[in-house]
Amino acid sequence: MNNAAARLGLIASMALADARAMYPALAAADADPHADAKLLEAVADWCDRYTPLVGLDAPDGLLLDITGCAHLFGGEAALCRDLIERLARQGLQASVAVADTVGCAWAVARYGRAPIVARGEAHEALAPLPLVALRTDADTVAGLAQVGLQRIADVIDRPRAPLAARYGQIFVRRIDQALGREDEPITPRLPLPAALAERRFPDPIGREEDVLGTIEQLARELDRVLERRGEGARLLQVALFRADGKVHRLELGTAAPLRDPARVRRLFADRLAVLGDECDPGFGFDMLRLSALVTERFDPQQSGLAGGDEDADLAHLIDRLGARFGLRRIARLEPRNTHIPEFAVAAVPAHAGRNPKVRAAEGREPRRATAASFEARLRPAPQNDEHMDSLAPVRPIRLFQRPEQIEAIAEVPDGPPVRFRWRRVLHEVARVEGPERIAMEWWRDAQGNKLTRDYFRVESRDGARMWLYREGLFEREIGQPENPDKPTWYLHGLFA
Amino acid sequence: MPAAETATLSRLREAVAKIEGSDLSALETGGRVLPLGAGPVDTALGGGLALGALHELAPAGALHLGAAAGFALALAARAGPRKPILWIQPDFASMEAGALYGPGLTALGLPMQQALLLRVARPTDVLWAMEEGLKSRVLSAIVAELTDEGAAADLTATRRLTLAAREVGGLGLLLRHRLSPEPSAAATRWEITAAPSQPDAFDGLGRTAFILSLLKNRRGPLGRWTIEWDHHARVFAPLSVAVAEATVDRSNRAPLIRAG
Repeated sequence: MNNAAARLGLIASMALADARAMYPALAAADADPHADAKLLEAVADWCDRYTPLVGLDAPDGLLLDITGCAHLFGGEAALCRDLIERLARQGLQASVAVADTVGCAWAVARYGRAPIVARGEAHEALAPLPLVALRTDADTVAGLAQVGLQRIADVIDRPRAPLAARYGQIFVRRIDQALGREDEPITPRLPLPAALAERRFPDPIGREEDVLGTIEQLARELDRVLERRGEGARLLQVALFRADGKVHRLELGTAAPLRDPARVRRLFADRLAVLGDECDPGFGFDMLRLSALVTERFDPQQSGLAGGDEDADLAHLIDRLGARFGLRRIARLEPRNTHIPEFAVAAVPAHAGRNPKVRAAEGREPRRATAASFEARLRPAPQNDEHMDSLAPVRPIRLFQRPEQIEAIAEVPDGPPVRFRWRRVLHEVARVEGPERIAMEWWRDAQGNKLTRDYFRVESRDGARMWLYREGLFEREIGQPENPDKPTWYLHGLFA
Repeated sequence: MPAAETATLSRLREAVAKIEGSDLSALETGGRVLPLGAGPVDTALGGGLALGALHELAPAGALHLGAAAGFALALAARAGPRKPILWIQPDFASMEAGALYGPGLTALGLPMQQALLLRVARPTDVLWAMEEGLKSRVLSAIVAELTDEGAAADLTATRRLTLAAREVGGLGLLLRHRLSPEPSAAATRWEITAAPSQPDAFDGLGRTAFILSLLKNRRGPLGRWTIEWDHHARVFAPLSVAVAEATVDRSNRAPLIRAG
């Protein structure tokens, strides 16, 4: 429904047929809840400029906690004017209310007149409003109307117990919440930063150098705050508020607590270089915010003498590579306690050494890591070399993610290969070691469908060394009358 | 080579070194090297593989990529017993020729915990990351894989990398999947072939053996050697070519099988 329709006297809950009967020329569009939700998200993103604590109140509302923020905009009234005006410029109409409680602001924004409810005046502001304003469902409102209760004033001072008995606990709770007798926190859309610094510009800025310079200045402010607390940032975010309402957010994890403004600038410079056009400044940014989303204890260290800053250097290298390629792309290799070749090693993001919060923020499941480390404590991972008496390394240095099927010929069905064809080239086997029999672990193979593998280390006549396996135990898992498959051969890895 | 020609050659080398901004004499006398442990190779290299320089490795054919990667790993294992190494692998390389496999690293003498693995999407990213790695003081070796023939790592790019390596003194190894005919600023260029190993008493596989062809050497003669890598002692040893070749021809004998 738009303003023109409202002027004609149509109301939102009207059936389309009725409305068409009144005005045949009416244009109607289907409701698109998904698009509405997306728009609401975008507006919420934009509202971030007023306070970092923005909550969604689907389907049509946003909750902003402006405690301690209003003075930055010249008071609550000025903030409201600014908000309405800026939204209007984007073609959005908003009704705004400021109040002590979420419930009261909700009611006044939708049904009230004066947008600002002063401290302690919730009672007076609510009294003349209809009962719908209490966020109750239509049935309750209808029930109350039957007994002659129309306005909030009619119920607000009544004894709670009978009301609760008749109309449910929720209804009473809504009253208490609106009056501030019961606490109702706003659920923030985005994680609240541990520390933040921001800067607004009267004229939007667009050049990369200006943006980076501002980031460095903000990092210096952040540095002071964090230094006082003895902390460093593990997860940083820059929010770039474009003049036309779009918000770009760049997140950066770090391998070690970080405060140094010059390094922060460099990391974001790398990130911006990769993003290129994706981070389009459009008509420029009119506000920048740098926030430290996750922080960690960071004690100043004496550097230099013992060369003890190697850890810091390594962390910085990981940060820089991570800023450009994504932190998940740079990994440490950790052994896992299993004999299944493809699971015997895990690539652990190199930065996620210590802080589980950073891991969670990067989307890694911390629970699995705990289970794995428990497993590692239980029994150290097998050292491949010790229990194998071969002169050659027993594991390949390159492993194919999907073993490649080959045609192999063996003298006997369960014997080693004599020659095999891989990628259309025939290889004669000169020397072979094996089999090394590896069966699937029972918990990975509950159905018992996975076949046992016999691994062979082979050296071809040319000297190339490869890791082959045959799938299925002959005459036990395959090759029986009921399952007459021939054994399948795969090439799984390359030795040095 | 007659003495006059040698003198001319060394004069020319110095001239080139001056143009490229490197002090050849300093490199030759005071520059740090990484000895391989195999006498003849070290002699040709003037003591060992130059640190603070870029070296190019390539397999003799697609089949020998494992050997080339293994040689790079062996060099990295020798370069730093405790410092981490950085291995840069483009996504395409791991799909085409297998991803770097941790237990295999440990088995070859480089504990997998010591390796940092960076996976990148494009060849130009490989070079950027390698330069970053070479500038860092904490890494003992940086190995970068390149799948294409040379377009990405041309003379300019390799020169950049060489300069970055010289500043800090790290070991840069450019592992090309195919030998590139393009000129490059690398200090050495190697072609690596997997050599049949010396069998053990049970006719099983022996120690990892390589045939190294030194195709370019800015500080000495070229050559071709067969060497063996001892992954316990982390040292190379020369392998007599005659013995190695004698072990090849055993086609008439059925291979003896050992229980692994």
